[in-house]
Formats: sequence, C-alpha cells, structure tokens
Amino acid sequence: MTRYAMVIDLNTCVGCNACMAACAMENQTPVWKNKWRTYVHEKEIGTAEEVRRRFLPRLCNHCDNPPCLTVCPTGATYQRDDGIVLVDPERCMGCRACAMACPYDARYEVTYGDIKTGREFYGDLKRESPSMDKCSFCAHRVDKGQKPACVETCVGSARMFGDLDNPADPVARLVASGVAQPLMPYLGTRPNVYYIDDMKRKG
Amino acid sequence: MAWEFPTLSRRTFLKAAGGGAAGLALLKPAGLLGGGAGEDEGSEAYTYSICNFCSSLCNIRVTTRTRNGAKRIVKLDGNPNSTLNRGKLCARGQAGLRQTYDTDRLKTPLIRVEGSKRGENKFRSATWEEAYAYIEKKQKGGNIQPWEWTMIGGWTSCVFYMSWAVPFALANGIPNLIASPMQACVTNGHLGTDAVTGTFNVHDEILPDFDNAKYILFIANNASIGAVSTCRMVRFAAGRKNGAKVVAIDPRQSETASKADEWISIRPGTDLDFLLAMLKTMLEERLYDADFLRQHSNMPFLVQADADGQWHLALDAKGQPQVVLERSSEIRSLPAYTHDNGLDANGRPCQPALHAPAGLTLNGRPVVTVLQAQLEEIRACTPEWAENSTGIAAATIRRIAREFGTARPAIVDPGWHGGRYGNIIMMRRVQAMIQALTGGIDKAGGWILSGEVHKKQAHVLKSKAAGVEAGPPLATTVGMPFANLVISVFSQGKNFPHGKPGWAWAFSEQEKKAGRPYVMLPVLADPGFKESVEGSLNYHGEPYRTRAVLLNAANPVRHYFPDSRWKEILTHKNLELVIAIDVLPSDTTAYADVILPNSTYLERSEPNVYANGVNHDLGLTTRYAAIDPLYDTREVPDILFKMTEIISGNGEGFLAHIDQLTGLGAASLKKHLAEPAIARSKNPLAAAYREVAFELAAEEAGMTKAQFDAVLREKGVCILESKERLLERGAMPWKLPMATGSGRVEFYSGLFDGLRKMGGTAPQFHVLATHIPTQCRSVGSASLADDEFYFTYGKAPTVSYASTNSNNPVLAAINRFKQDIYTRIWIHPARAAFLGIAEGDPIRLTNAKSGQTATGHAHLTRMIHREALFLYSSFGAENPLLTRSVGLGTATNKLIPYDLEPVTAGFRTQEFTVRIKKIAEKGGEA
Amino acid sequence: MDTMTYTTQNIWTWWIAVYLFFGGLGAATLTITFLTDMYCRPHRKLVLWGAISGVVLLAASSAVLFGHLLHHTAVIYVLNPLVLFYKPDAWIAWGTQFILWMMVWGTLYALPYMRETPAFLRLPLVGKLIGSRLAGWLVGCCMKHRRVVGWLAAVNGIGTAVYTGLLIQSFPAVALWHNPGVPLLFTVSAFSTAFAYLLLLLHTFITDENDQDLRHRYERFDLVLIATELVILFSFFSYTLSGSESGYRSAQLLWGDLGWLVGFIGFGLLVPFLLELKGAIRGWSSRLPTVAAALLVLMGGYLLRHYFMYAGVYAYPW
Ligand SMILES: Nc1nc2c(c(=O)[nH]1)N[C@H]1C(S)=C(S)[C@@H](COP(=O)(O)OP(=O)(O)OC[C@H]3O[C@@H](n4cnc5c(=O)[nH]c(N)nc54)[C@H](O)[C@@H]3O)O[C@H]1N2
Ligand SMILES: Nc1nc2c(c(=O)[nH]1)N[C@H]1C(S)=C(S)[C@@H](COP(=O)(O)OP(=O)(O)OC[C@H]3O[C@@H](n4cnc5c(=O)[nH]c(N)nc54)[C@H](O)[C@@H]3O)O[C@H]1N2
Ligand code: SF4
Ligand code: SF4
Ligand code: SF4
Ligand code: SF4
Ligand code: SF4
Ligand SMILES: [Mo]
Repeated sequence: MTRYAMVIDLNTCVGCNACMAACAMENQTPVWKNKWRTYVHEKEIGTAEEVRRRFLPRLCNHCDNPPCLTVCPTGATYQRDDGIVLVDPERCMGCRACAMACPYDARYEVTYGDIKTGREFYGDLKRESPSMDKCSFCAHRVDKGQKPACVETCVGSARMFGDLDNPADPVARLVASGVAQPLMPYLGTRPNVYYIDDMKRKG
Repeated sequence: MAWEFPTLSRRTFLKAAGGGAAGLALLKPAGLLGGGAGEDEGSEAYTYSICNFCSSLCNIRVTTRTRNGAKRIVKLDGNPNSTLNRGKLCARGQAGLRQTYDTDRLKTPLIRVEGSKRGENKFRSATWEEAYAYIEKKQKGGNIQPWEWTMIGGWTSCVFYMSWAVPFALANGIPNLIASPMQACVTNGHLGTDAVTGTFNVHDEILPDFDNAKYILFIANNASIGAVSTCRMVRFAAGRKNGAKVVAIDPRQSETASKADEWISIRPGTDLDFLLAMLKTMLEERLYDADFLRQHSNMPFLVQADADGQWHLALDAKGQPQVVLERSSEIRSLPAYTHDNGLDANGRPCQPALHAPAGLTLNGRPVVTVLQAQLEEIRACTPEWAENSTGIAAATIRRIAREFGTARPAIVDPGWHGGRYGNIIMMRRVQAMIQALTGGIDKAGGWILSGEVHKKQAHVLKSKAAGVEAGPPLATTVGMPFANLVISVFSQGKNFPHGKPGWAWAFSEQEKKAGRPYVMLPVLADPGFKESVEGSLNYHGEPYRTRAVLLNAANPVRHYFPDSRWKEILTHKNLELVIAIDVLPSDTTAYADVILPNSTYLERSEPNVYANGVNHDLGLTTRYAAIDPLYDTREVPDILFKMTEIISGNGEGFLAHIDQLTGLGAASLKKHLAEPAIARSKNPLAAAYREVAFELAAEEAGMTKAQFDAVLREKGVCILESKERLLERGAMPWKLPMATGSGRVEFYSGLFDGLRKMGGTAPQFHVLATHIPTQCRSVGSASLADDEFYFTYGKAPTVSYASTNSNNPVLAAINRFKQDIYTRIWIHPARAAFLGIAEGDPIRLTNAKSGQTATGHAHLTRMIHREALFLYSSFGAENPLLTRSVGLGTATNKLIPYDLEPVTAGFRTQEFTVRIKKIAEKGGEA
Repeated sequence: MDTMTYTTQNIWTWWIAVYLFFGGLGAATLTITFLTDMYCRPHRKLVLWGAISGVVLLAASSAVLFGHLLHHTAVIYVLNPLVLFYKPDAWIAWGTQFILWMMVWGTLYALPYMRETPAFLRLPLVGKLIGSRLAGWLVGCCMKHRRVVGWLAAVNGIGTAVYTGLLIQSFPAVALWHNPGVPLLFTVSAFSTAFAYLLLLLHTFITDENDQDLRHRYERFDLVLIATELVILFSFFSYTLSGSESGYRSAQLLWGDLGWLVGFIGFGLLVPFLLELKGAIRGWSSRLPTVAAALLVLMGGYLLRHYFMYAGVYAYPW
C-alpha cells in the first residue's frame, strides 16, 4: 500500500512563496480573488528582542480521518486508497459543509464567476464546474510519478513528499523518528502533513 | 483487576477504517472512485529557456499545451537538468508566464500623441514602419549627433544583449551608456570583492559552496540568498540541512536572517566597523590559513609608508614585489604575475614570511609585510571600538571572529547589491579579505569562481603564454583586463571618430578641473547626464549635449535615485527624442516619445548562446521560444540594427564590431541571412545570429551544430565541465593565477594603488582595509531624535527590483496577501508607541538631510532594529497602465537623494536618516 | 508550534441560521400538529396549518440553502435517496432526505383534510389535483394507514429537527459545536419554537374556543422546553468556560454579547418563560401576553442559531 504524506522543514522554509505561485499555475487557482491551495503564513514569535520570524506553509493535510469527507453529502469529497483526499467538482454541489468541518482552513470556493474569469485568465481552464476546492496533493502529477508542484520548486527544499508505507522513504523516516509532527493531532483528524519545528535555535 | 481496554494502534485502526471504507465503496456509484479517467488535455510539450526576472539566470523548463490548435504556456519549472538552480524556481520565476499573458502588455509600437507632454501617458498605436519613420524624422530633422545620444540599459539588455549593445554604441559613435545593474548595483557592490579576487566578468557574482560549509556568515544579504536567488538558496538550504552554523547580520530579521542560528541586529551603516574588528581579531590571533596567505596572496609582500603615511609596495628595480624569507632577514623578489610565491623571481624555492622581523629595513627605510601594515592600519579597530558604533557586544564580535576563523570551511557571503553607503566597496573588500584569510577561495566549502570565469581565465593565460591575442574580448576576457577594457572604451575619446569620451568622463574631468568632488570611474554611470541635458556640460570648450535617449529594458524613473531627477531630465525641453524598448508600460515608458514593444522572454529564441550564469560547472545554454509572439513585437538585435541605419547608416560597421568584439562572424551571419526562412522572419538578424552562435558554441562543445541543438533541446543546458574537474585543473589561486593584477589574492590592492595614482585621495581609495565612517547624520554623534530613524530597505521575495513584475497577477496577489509585511514601513513597536503610531497608520517620511518626503503605512514589528525603519524597495509604481500594482506601497526613490560615492558613482541610498510623522486621521490617505 | 490564530468563520452565515431555524421550526410544527391530530383529537385546521407551515418553511429553508450552493445541478446527488447508502455518514444527506420525505408524508397526511376543505378545492391548479381520482385513491390509502403515514411524517420531522443540531455538531474544530449538547439544544429549541408558533396560530388564525385545552397544553410543553433549554444553555456556559481555548473564546463572544444575553437569553427565553409561566399558573386576561411570548420565542429561536453560527471559534495553528 501507499500512503502519501508531506513533511515541511520549517528550518529551511524562507517564506519565498514560490510554492504558492507554483501551485497556482499548476492547479489554475483563482489568484484574482487571492485564494490559494497553499498559503505561507508569517508570524512573529518570542518575547522582546528574542523575536523570531516564522514561516508556516499550509495546505490540506490529507487527513486519514477527514471530517471534510464525513460531512460531504454528495460524495464529491473522497479519499483514494493512497490517502489523497480529493474533490470531484462535477459532483460537488458547493454546500461548503466540508469547509466548515475542516479544522485547517484548507478549502475555498470556486464560483460560477470564477469559472468565467478563469477561462479568460488561464485560456484553457481544466475545470468545468464550480465547487469547493483545495489542495489535491497534485494527484495528477503524483500519478505520473512526479512530485507535487510546490515540492518540486521549493527553493528551501523545505517541502518533502513521500510514502509513509515505504520504510526507506526519507519522509517515512522523518515521521517515524518523531521529529516531524502534524498540526493539532488531538482533533483526531490524523493529518498527513508534518512539520519539523524551527524552535531549536542554537547560539 | 484493571479493565481490559482494547488497544487500537494507528495501523489496525486504519485497516479497520479502510475495510469499512471499502465496504462503503461498493455502494458508491462508479466514477466516484476512479476520478476522471479519460481527460482530454490536448498534448503537452517541453521547451527550455532562462528565467528573466533576475540575474541569477535560472534554467527553466517551459510546459506548453496545445489544444484545438492553440498553444499556450501552462507551467514553468526549474530545469531538472540544471546544476545551477537544481530544478527549482522562486515565486517570480514560477509566475513568469503571466508576464507573457499580462493583459497590460505593450502590444504594438506606440507614439506619443501630438500636443501631449511626456509623462502624460498619451499614446497612439502605430506600425513599426510608422514608429521608425517617426524616429528617423526626429533624428534627421534635428540632426542629432552620435554623441548626443545616450543609451540606458537594464540588466536584461546587459546580460543578453551586451554583444549587440556595445557594438551598437561603437558603430554609431555613441560613447554614452548608462546601465542600471551597474551604478545602482554591481559596480560598487562587487568592486570591493573583485579587487581582492579579480573576478570582473559579466557575472562576477561569486557563488559560494554553501553545500559543504560548516559556518556561514551573512552581512547585508537577503535577496541575494533567501529572498531569493534560487541558485544560492538551494545551496544554502542544503548547507543548513548539513548542519552549518548560520549567522546573519542585518538590522532587521530578513527572510535569510530568519533561517540563521543567530540573528545579529546591527546599527545600520556600521558593518564595516564590525568587519574591521573581525579582521583585526583574526589577524592578531592568527586565525588564518598561514600557508595559503604565504603562498597565494600578497600578504607577505613588503610595503613601506611614505611621508604622508600612505603605504606603497616595496618593488624592486624591475617593478617586482619583494618578500622577506621566513625566520630570516633575507629579502627576495617574486615574479610580478604568478599564483604561487613558492618560487622567487629567479626560480629559487622561497618561503615568504607573513611577519617581517622587527626593525627590518629596505633602502634605509623601515619595511613591513602587507599583513603587518594592515594590522597597523586598523590598530584602533578593536571589538570594543566596534561595539560603540555597531551596538554589538565586543564579546560577540570577538566570538564570531574566532568561530569564523576556526570553523573551516567557512563562508562569509560576498554580498550582492551595492549602494547604501559610501563605504560599501571597502566593506565588500574586507569581506573578501576575511574569506581569503581562511583560504576558502576556489575550494570546497568556500567561494568558488564560476565555470565561465575559469574558462576565460584559462584561455587568457594560455593566450598570454603563447603570446597571442586572447580573441574577441566580450567573449573571452575576464578579470582586470576586462575591467580595463570596459573602462577604456567609453572613457577615451580616441575610440570614437568625433574624439569625445562619454559625457560621464567629460564631466568628471570638468569637475576635477574645477576642484569640485568628482567620480573617478563613472563606468556606465549617470554623473553628467543631467548636466548634458540641461546644457551645463562642456568638453574642450564646446558644449556637450544629450538630445536623444534610447532606453532598453530600463526603468530609471523607478530604479534610479531620486525619481524627481529623472522626471526632470526626461521632460526637459532640450531632450528631443526618448525611445523606450520594453515589454510592459513602466513608470519610465510614460516619459517616452516612442515605445517599441519587445517580445517577452518566453516568446524569444535568443540570438546567442550564453554561459550558465554563476554556475560552478561550465555550461552553455540559451532560450527556445515556447510560443510565437502573441503581439506585434520585435527583438533587440533587429531593433538596434534598424536604429543604426537611422542614426549613422553604418549597418555594416555594426556587424563588423559584433564580429570583432564577440566573435559572431559577419560572413557567417550574411550566409544565414540569405536563408529563405530567416530572410522571411520578422527578426532576421536575431534568427541569423542564433545560427552563428550555435555554430561557435557547437565547436566549443566539440559537437556538430545539430548535435549541440539536440542536447539543448533535450536538456536545456549543455554542461561541458564539472566543478570538480575545473577545480582540479585550474583552482585559483591554488593552481592558476587569479585574474587580479598580480595573479594572487590581493590584500594590498593593485587596483586601488592605480586609482590612487590617478588622484584618488578619499579613504575609499586606500590600498589597504581602512575605516570609512558613514555619515547618516549631519549632527554627528548625538543620539537620534524621537522621530528620527536610520533608513534601510531590501528586495521583496516576490518582486524583481521595483520592476514591472509587481504587476504580475500572481505576484500581485501574493503581495496583497502579505500587504502588511511587504508594502508597509517596518517600525519597532516601542518607538511607534512613543509616536502614537499604530499598525496600518498612514505616515509621512522626511529625509532629514535632503528634505525629500514620501508617504506610506506603518507596520509594527520587533523584527527591525529600534533605531531603524525598513521597507521593501519593490513598490511605488505610478503608471496607471500597470493596473495591478499602481499605487501599492512606498517608492524608495522618492526618499533617496542624489548622493554618490567617489569611486564608481554608487548611490548612497541609506546614508541619511528619516523623520516620521503620523498623518492626521481625517483624510489620512498616504 | 503554538502560534495559534483564533477566528470565527464567514462561510456559513445568516442564511444557514435561517435554514436551521426554518428547518427546525417547520419540522417540529408539523410533527406536533400530526401527533396532536393522532393522539389528542382530530383537528383538521391544525393539521392543515401544521402541514402547510411545515412544508412551506422547509421549502423556504431549502431554497435559501439551494440559492447559496456553488453548483446547483449537483444537488441531484443528495436528492437521490440512494445517498443514504453511499454517504450514510453525512448528516446533510440524512437531513435532505428527512426534509424531502417529511414533505411527502406530511402532504399525504394532510391530503384527506385538504380534500374536505372547499377553500383548497377552489384553488386553481391545486384544487384540480386534490380533486383528481388519483388523489382520491391516495386519500383512501392514507385513511387506511393514517397512523403509519402520520408517524412517517413525524419521524422525518423529528429527524429534521435533530439533524439541524447534528449538522453543526459534525464540525470538530469548534468546541461550541462539536459536542452532544448541540443536537439536544437544537431539538429542544425547534420544538419550543414550534409550540410558540402554534400558540401564535391558536391565538390568531385558529381562534376556536374548543381549543383552549390545546392552548394550555402547548403552553405547558413550551414552558418545560424553555426551561430545558435554559438548563442546556447553562451547561453550555459552564462547558465552554474551560476545556479548550476555542470554547473559551466562544464563551467570551457569546456571554459578552448583549444580543445574546439580552436579546436571546433575556427576551428570547426568560421573558417568554415568565409570561407563559404566569399564563399557565394564573392565566392572562388578554391574549396579548401569550402572543408576545410566542413572538419572542420565535425571535429567540432565530437568534440562538444566528449566534451559534457566529460564535463558533476555530483554532488555527498559524
Ligand atoms: N527602487 C528600487 N530601485 C532599484 C532596486 C530596488 O530594489 N528598488 N534595485 C537596484 C538593483 S540591485 C538593480 S540590479 C537595478 C535593476 O534595474 P533594471 O535592470 O533596470 O531592472 P528591471 O526591473 O529588471 O528592468 C527594468 C525594465 O525592463 C523591462 N523588461 C523586463 N523584461 C524585459 C524584456 O524581456 N525585454 C525588454 N526590452 N524589457 C524588459 C521591465 O518591464 C522594466 O521596465 O535596479 C536598482 N534600483
Ligand atoms: N526577490 C528578489 N531577489 C533578487 C532580486 C530581485 O530583484 N528580487 N535581484 C537580484 C539582484 S540584481 C541583486 S543586486 C540581489 C540583491 O541582494 P541583496 O544584496 O541581498 O539585497 P537586499 O534585499 O536589497 O538587501 C539585503 C539586506 O540588507 C539589509 N540591510 C539594509 N541596510 C543594512 C545595513 O546597514 N547593514 C546590514 N548588515 N544590513 C543591511 C536589508 O535589511 C536586507 O535584508 O538580489 C538578487 N535577487
Ligand atoms: S517554496 Fe519552500 S521555502 Fe519557499 S515558502 Fe514555500 S515551503 Fe517555504
Ligand atoms: S485538512 Fe481539511 S480538507 Fe484536508 S483532508 Fe483534512 S479535513 Fe479535509
Ligand atoms: S461543498 Fe462539495 S465537497 Fe464540500 S461538502 Fe458540500 S458537496 Fe461535499
Ligand atoms: S500538493 Fe499540489 S495542490 Fe497541494 S499545495 Fe502543493 S502544489 Fe498545491
Ligand atoms: S532567482 Fe527567481 S527570478 Fe531570479 S532567475 Fe531564478 S527563478 Fe528567476
Ligand atoms: Mo542588482
């Protein structure tokens, strides 16, 4: 079996946003309304002059136990055997329950208007119907043996993509070692995007 | 007994859940599971090209999709075969295709509407014929002389079309060239480094080998690393993952500093002080590779002080440097040009001492080594002294000097962008010296010179040994000879039939004569330009005027300092013709009479084959057009040819100069021009030159033209030699002389020795490292007023310079997403609170020296030094035709005055303080 | 990685509050009237009002939801009853089916009464339909299985009311929503508002003197439900005060908001409770206080859902 996962090493994420741009171009997301499948957040943490600038790239976590899937009434949100959670735009009626259920704010709307704008903007829009949308782990690329677009271009090599069921995979090893941790695991969502903390600053 | 809870491991749970899901799946209608089986996506294809958004020159792979006969670019990626950027692209590179599809693009030639003024942005569409006819009428009607033309080029035209721009200037007799990547950036940004390492080249930026470093020190770096120069960032990330310790010195926590183990927030403008204290500590505590310095540098050269305390090399009668032998007082001469001090001028083995014995004299005068003189020169620059100015504890400075001096291999990044302060050249020089102290030049884990530099230097040395000319200089020379060539071409009137040097050189001469401050090497720089337009410049008693301007890929209204100066120049009545070649409307094209639209980089098959940027490996690459031009656009060689016909009618001379300077043969060119397909094309010259360039490159690569083309089509880059092989054969100065004047790493600068002889008296011209204070404040050392701040800026990760790609819809969206951080002015909350300024408040900034003002919004963050303001210098576009970026952010060059350093006319873009004031709430539009 | 952002959502806003309110109210109204009709005494007017109100409210709520869908034609997938087999875990699937079938069974239950009501038969198209032979045959069947049809409608009605709570409960990121108290609260509120609505009807449109017993009974039920709601709300109050930051922030949003405190708790629950309490113990001389109480309860019903949607706090780790 294959179980895809992403590890993001915050120690080398420089907040360059290349992943945002790459994902937008690869997946034709509605940049005109500033909606992205992946965001790179910036935060200032630490007290007084001990301040630290933290970049936190976010995307759908392709949860093992995805609440977005449970609530979806049409079956538009589905999970593949390799764990990738997808939305079928033909089937999605756009009730947004999935967006309400997702604890990671991973979903956004694509409206009829966006389809129209998208056709003008991208010239050759792959999608035909409006729906909720989110990161697909670039399933279409992964199926061709490629890495997700954001991983491929990550200039900090901060994003790594791999198979948890393959013990030799560096991603699997990082996860197994415990150095990479998911976000809010206590919600029972069993996320599959893991982060390597950058707090252990030396010096 | 305890209750037995069933234990549920993650795995078993998944299996159970999976089983359940499979059970449910049976009930799902078909189609839900497979997910889009028979998508008809049309056909996809790859072509290879080079990114055009900064001179990191990343190799890219372009994916096009053809559906229903229409071909579109759908995705850009880093070229996976590239060892330069390792298959990665930054945000600008990724979003690049949206430049081609930008709805705001220049689609046809435009002519300024009769009766409108420059700057009013009133244009009518025209055909190319009309545009050229318009230019011809102005040229002929006004009888504009060659020297009355000025060319202004941006980095795109510099890197990709230097082989046409320089011959164009020479063929037409135009001695006047301004290049924005030079004066505003690399001339002063790199001169210091190059003075030590001799790396003058089209790409003289050095790419350090971060992968293998143990210790990495960044001083005033950000966009050059993590925000982003991809070829550097990928290496830095690898180094960090390999466990390198990283220290970043920056008044604010930049993207790069945020990845450091230690961020040191320095008082702006005091980096030289920090570096001198480091240099002193390392020299005193002998934290250097003594063998390297002895063998491969001029550290052991003997020097003497003259009556004014100026140091001079103690040369022998033949002009050769002399050293004193280790543990003796015997003085020997060394060859003037070599990489190895191990053999003296007579071929005898020689062990030069780094420290001359006390009381050593030569010709009756005391003599010491360069190392000793250097220590003497910076005797006062202790860490305690530096603590006072930099605000960094002496103990920290000392610790970093020790860490750096002992953790080998260590890297201090050479730095990239110049400007900022009058001492930037010296600062970069000291950085290079510190690097050289560790022996980390052309060595794993240190600075490694590019494949192109290696190739050219090996070629220059071979030609020298054989006693033949090196060949077409733009293609073959590097180092000091290259620098000398660039300087001599435009500074000497004898190179032109009319006998006039560039107005910049004429102006320096005029100012020098008048006893006013002047710039020694205004290489491709703007001093005198305004005067030549206004009519106050004279050369040999005659007025030297500028009446026509040709801009190519340059946006000086936004990129030069200050914007008001450029607006004044471009709207001046004496200026009769302004032509701009660009791809998008810019703040500068608004001031043109004629705008000539260029194809975007993805629509171009370039006329040349290029080196692989700063890659350690030696490679060749070029662009393949991914799609046909969408609009009625043309290419630079053809435009320049047409302009030559208009200006001087010397088309043949243009081709001949290209032949001479670049080796792209005129005969071969004409053969290709006759080919029907090329003759028919819209840009025959560009197409034919490409054929010529491929022939030359194929020969160099040892292939047929077709083979070479096949390799580039398939891989996008043709690697001729790996970094390992290059270093093995020609590591400099380990195995070959460097391209400095002496072949060694130069701590005592031959270059500045020469400039001093030409009359350079300012401390900037010192032959050794010395202290040059920055003068941000005219009032001296009293503490800052409550509303007073040092001014700092840097590039945003998502914009090139302050370029038109801020209009790119993808980048514009990211900039809006991060609007508070990217487009506002960073102020420390403690200071802001005192001034009653809250996040997002509109504020006015006033340059305390010049009185210039700009407005913006406050961003409160502790990531900036309390005494400083910071803003990303990427914004402030004013042309309303840039619909997505107009009005966003603050224009840096509204605050920066016209204030130059004396060596290369570098702008002192931060050598002042600003005062800030909250703009009253009501109607508080900033 | 403890740099959290706490934020409310603006995905499901007032229109979902309307959907939940109308849905719960319509379903409970229908259920109550049918049960009254089956077990108390047959009451044509009440059933007609209940069925029609139920169907109209549910149709309205569904229309609000439908109008806000991104992709309208895909609604077919939830209208298909097979959805219960392939998405049994999705409450919206259940809810849609409850609503759908409640409307069907509710109409069927009311059909015999409609056929006896001249006003209906006089209606243009509807009259023809009701008067048709097919309808006659249907009425026959319904009369034969009156209780079965009634219970089918009632069960779907109860299901709908419960569903409105289950839906909100299925969003795990928000402590205020993701707890078993929510379905309970929403069900109780649905029935309480329905009783209030029926009281309103019984004091305005169905002013039969014989219905005095119903009025008293409904009033008492409502009192008990309001009291229950207050108890549930109190437990929500104490539950949200600690346990999770999300819940605590919800508590701050709710209990610091006058709209919630005065509008909902005060005028939506306490005031009508007192009014109805006095009505139940001593009676009122005028029907005005009861009408006012009913209106207030209805207003409270909407406010509850409105504030519930508004005060759900997400805890995002960035
Ligand atoms: N405010 C501000 N000023 C700066 C800087 C900054 O960061 N902020 N940085 C400084 C530095 S370090 C540098 S190197 C210089 C760089 O200065 P430039 O080299 O001048 O900068 P660019 O923005 O790349 O290019 C300027 C123009 O080229 C056009 N252009 C882009 N692509 C093409 C093309 O393919 N063909 C043609 N013909 N034109 C094209 C753009 O539309 C733009 O108008 O700026 C310096 N000045
Ligand atoms: N995103 C992006 N990247 C680019 C480019 C681009 O246009 N955009 N252009 C490329 C080019 S041409 C160039 S020249 C390079 C420029 O690359 P860099 O030279 O790295 O350029 P900056 O980002 O301007 O400045 C670097 C840092 O200097 C800090 N700084 C300011 N004042 C001081 C000071 O007094 N002391 C110290 N220690 N630090 C100070 C700023 O806070 C900033 O973080 O970038 C290249 N990469
Ligand atoms: S591309 Fe990589 S380094 Fe850049 S912001 Fe995204 S995750 Fe971080
Ligand atoms: S992150 Fe959100 S959208 Fe993605 S699988 Fe998990 S719950 Fe669903
Ligand atoms: S919006 Fe679409 S994907 Fe999300 S729950 Fe509704 S039907 Fe499913
Ligand atoms: S995996 Fe693909 S869809 Fe998801 S964020 Fe990365 S690029 Fe976007
Ligand atoms: S660093 Fe970015 S903008 Fe510069 S060449 Fe590379 S991809 Fe292009
Ligand atoms: Mo630059």
